[in-house]
Amino acid sequence: MIKTVDLGKTVQTSEGQLTILKGINLEIKKSESVAIVGASGSGKTTLLSLLAGLDTPTRGQIFLGDHELNDLDEEQRARVRGEMVGFVFQTFQLLSSLTAMENVMLPAELRNDPDAEEKARELMHRVGLGHRIRHYPRQLSGGEQQRVAIARAFASSAAVLFADEPTGNLDTKTGGHIIDLIFDLNAEFGTTLVLVTHDAHLADRCGRSILIESGELVVEGG
Amino acid sequence: MHFTLAAKFLWRDWRAGELTLLLWALIIAVGTVTTITLFVDRLQQALLNESSTFLAADRVIASSDPIDPDILARAEALGLKQAQTLSFLSMAFSEDRAQLASVKAVSDSYPLRGTLIVADAAFVRGTPITRGPGRGEVWMESRLLPSLGVETGDLVDIGVASFPIVKVLVKEPDRGGGFNSAGPRVLMNLADVAATEVVQPGSRISYRYLFAGDPDTLGEFEDWVKPKLGLEGRIFGVKEGTAGIGSALERAERFMLLGGLLGVILAGVAIALAAQRYALRHYDHVAILKTLGATPDSIDSIFVVMFVLLGTLATMLGSGIGYFAQTAAVQILAPLIPIELPAPGMQPVWLGMVTGFICLLSFALPPLLKLRKTDPVRVIRREIGDASIADRSTYLFAIVGTIGLMWWYSQDLWLTTLVFTGGVVAILALSIVAYFLLRSGRIVGMQAGSAWRLALAGMQRRGRENTMQILIFGLSIMLLLILYLVRTALIEEWQAQIPVDAPNHFAINISPEDTGPIRALFAENNIASQPLYPMIRGRITQVNDELARERDKRREQTTGDSGPGASSGRNLTWSATLPDDNRVIAGKWWSSEHTGEAQVSLEEDLARSNRLKVGDRLIFSIQGRELIAQVGSIRTVAWDNMRPNFYIIFSPGALDDFPSTYMTSFYLEKDQKLFLNELLSRYPTMTVLEVDALIEQIQTIISQVTLAIELILGLIMIAGSLVLLASIQASMDERFKQHAILRTLGAGRKLVLGSLAIEFCALGFFAGVLAAIGSEITVYALETEIFQLDYHVNPVVWIMGPVVGTVLIGALGTIATRKVVNTSPTTVLRGL
Ligand SMILES: Nc1ncnc2c1ncn2[C@@H]1O[C@H](COP(=O)(O)OP(=O)(O)OP(=O)(O)O)[C@@H](O)[C@H]1O
Ligand SMILES: [Mg+2]
Repeated sequence: MIKTVDLGKTVQTSEGQLTILKGINLEIKKSESVAIVGASGSGKTTLLSLLAGLDTPTRGQIFLGDHELNDLDEEQRARVRGEMVGFVFQTFQLLSSLTAMENVMLPAELRNDPDAEEKARELMHRVGLGHRIRHYPRQLSGGEQQRVAIARAFASSAAVLFADEPTGNLDTKTGGHIIDLIFDLNAEFGTTLVLVTHDAHLADRCGRSILIESGELVVEGG
Repeated sequence: MHFTLAAKFLWRDWRAGELTLLLWALIIAVGTVTTITLFVDRLQQALLNESSTFLAADRVIASSDPIDPDILARAEALGLKQAQTLSFLSMAFSEDRAQLASVKAVSDSYPLRGTLIVADAAFVRGTPITRGPGRGEVWMESRLLPSLGVETGDLVDIGVASFPIVKVLVKEPDRGGGFNSAGPRVLMNLADVAATEVVQPGSRISYRYLFAGDPDTLGEFEDWVKPKLGLEGRIFGVKEGTAGIGSALERAERFMLLGGLLGVILAGVAIALAAQRYALRHYDHVAILKTLGATPDSIDSIFVVMFVLLGTLATMLGSGIGYFAQTAAVQILAPLIPIELPAPGMQPVWLGMVTGFICLLSFALPPLLKLRKTDPVRVIRREIGDASIADRSTYLFAIVGTIGLMWWYSQDLWLTTLVFTGGVVAILALSIVAYFLLRSGRIVGMQAGSAWRLALAGMQRRGRENTMQILIFGLSIMLLLILYLVRTALIEEWQAQIPVDAPNHFAINISPEDTGPIRALFAENNIASQPLYPMIRGRITQVNDELARERDKRREQTTGDSGPGASSGRNLTWSATLPDDNRVIAGKWWSSEHTGEAQVSLEEDLARSNRLKVGDRLIFSIQGRELIAQVGSIRTVAWDNMRPNFYIIFSPGALDDFPSTYMTSFYLEKDQKLFLNELLSRYPTMTVLEVDALIEQIQTIISQVTLAIELILGLIMIAGSLVLLASIQASMDERFKQHAILRTLGAGRKLVLGSLAIEFCALGFFAGVLAAIGSEITVYALETEIFQLDYHVNPVVWIMGPVVGTVLIGALGTIATRKVVNTSPTTVLRGL
């Protein structure tokens, strides 16, 4: 499903060139769940954004499904994201001007899917927020907002779900519920899951862990 | 197309207040343009109509012979309204007295424009009437009644026919100057002229054919007629007909256009600011949409649809508001505007709408189209992609849009270029000055109390934004100052043109032996008069060995120049001293004891059109004899000062061999009118031209134009304030954060409010200084290049700029950002 060959990322900073990722080779199979772990600043988020096609590498190749991301321009990458990828972020990233329900409808609407509303309603019920569909993000708690974000991620019928520390902003108990929800839905939809986390317990729940240290892949455990 | 999505975003952003400022800026842009164009349109029409009453028509063909009937047939075919007048001098007789009168016979459709004012007895107030005398009756001017010893109802004889005096004529619309209006007026019906047998072959008669209709048809007619008129006839409209009014109207139009132009630019700036702010606040949204699979194209389509919807709404609201604002303005001002405004047309409304969309395209769309480039990585790393907000294409759009709009409004490339380059130079120069002002502000702040330090340190920290803001404030104030200065200069110029005590009567044909007694009579009656000038008819026959007529013909063929011809008959005079208001621009005025060879001084236009230079040898034909004179000087003449003015002035002694009559001009108050009867009965050979009615009309028009200009100024002021508000709003987010953080750190409300007030006052002060510099320079260029006014330094600007800046921006800014202080810091921080 996902494969990288000698993936590298170097950025230009005021103090000169900074190499964040130094030649990463990895492969993630369909319906697998993988945790990316590592110290803060090791390059986990950077790797995730490359795999998801949010960012472009400075070296190497990325294959996502049938696409080689390097070959695609921004327009095409956006389309791939729309068709294949779902995101859950640490900071939720809901559109504040839309209601919870409308946020969930967005991916389908962007694809001009006529059933957007119906699907969104179903998912809202599925994440346990059937009664809050008309509320705006600011009227929801952090945990609720994250559940909306999860609903939205699955609304795009994505093949791969990328989650960057989805519980980082939540207390332990709420975080637990969120993680359960992600794994349940993941099983239900048969999605491939790529999860960045600090939490060893959480990493254990995934099929396998990838440890990153200073931009290098150290251990691929399972 | 993501129409529903766009509509949803539009609705939500609107509810969240994200679009309020942008919408208002657009509405004001469209509204200002609609209001101004509508108002200008109506006022222009009205003023033109009003001025047309000077001619009693829109176009007049004046001729000393009857014109070709084909011309009248053509006018008929084009659907123009027509009337005819015929004027001549004739004696009017009562039973025992006689008086030379200036008779005007008018056709039944006279007047086509304007009204006559008539009364039933002499020397009383009259009432307006829109027709001339009927068949078999005459109307005459008040002072003719005592001098003939008659009253209304009595009979007078004109030629061999007699007519009852039915009305007393108080005012006729087209009573201009000219010889045929010499002497008191008798008005009669054209159909009665034949019966008088006064008009014989060879009598001196002036024919006027009056036309009225819509401007296009008139233009077509004029183009067709021009080549058909011989040397004796000419066609003219109000602009050419009365020079003083023409130039006043033209300048007023230019002023209004300039006003409209500045209004649009100001609104454009407000729109650009609001759109920038909107875009800045939406980068995160777009980044999220992109992670969800929105392609750059779909981002474009969402925001374009949104803004087209917004634009449509704004232009509709704006033009509606403009329409009503203008109607209301007219209602409120109705008592002040003594003329009736024609109904507003639809064209200005379209103009406003188109303007709205052009503004949207050139000012709002560029920052929005940047949104497509938002890097989706922003959802993870927020700082990415902020800097790309304003790149070259944004400026290009705005520049093309601004120039396009300016050109479209002013229809004047020179004015556009001038204002635009002026603006660009000002912006460059002013940003440098602004930067240094900010630096100096910090140095002052170092030594001051805590609110001051906070304020000035804050200003320094956001140096770039504040330089921008000072610039925008400065430019807005500058534009307002410019408009104010030009307005003041225009109005002063107009008022100076015809001072209240400008001579309103001309006396001609004064015989030399009467000059002394007449001077004494004026003194005795306390009447302000000009010197008496000798006046002789004559014309130039030869210029340096070349026939003057040949030169004229050649000039007309080669250059098409319609300036004064060299060979035309003119009034000549001589003078030892240079008349007041004249200025020598080439050569030298002769010394007051000049003797010897005859010299002449020529008026500038005459000299220029005919390429006459100092030193040229001219041969004049005067009373059938030749006189040789050399051009000694060229001078400018203030034609509209209502004093005796001459194209050609001879040196003393040159005209001694020719018997001449004298002329002068003098000022009579309304209640001194009867002095004319005394003057004329004592010196029956002299002729008096009464221009008091004409002057009064000019003054009315000028006061109307002045009022219109004040109104436009007011409208632009509103647009300017909006820009200030938009600019303050645009900086709100930043200030919110700053001050919320300060307050969580324990800064009191008072300190925060104080520092805000100081910051805005300082910004305003700096902006005001910039505005003063900028406006002084621009006004210099405008007054000398566009309005042909004399420039002088405006000390008032140097006070007004900084004071207005400090007070206005200080107040607006503090009020607008008061919310910063009144919102609890947590609300703000949660929104970060
Ligand atoms: N665009 C960029 N410019 C400069 N430095 C960058 C950029 N992107 C990432 N970095 C740096 O690269 C390193 C890796 O960043 P990244 O966000 O991938 O780490 P992370 O493993 O996700 O850390 P954390 O666990 O704290 O989220 C960091 O030191 C970061 O500062
Ligand atoms: Mg990270």
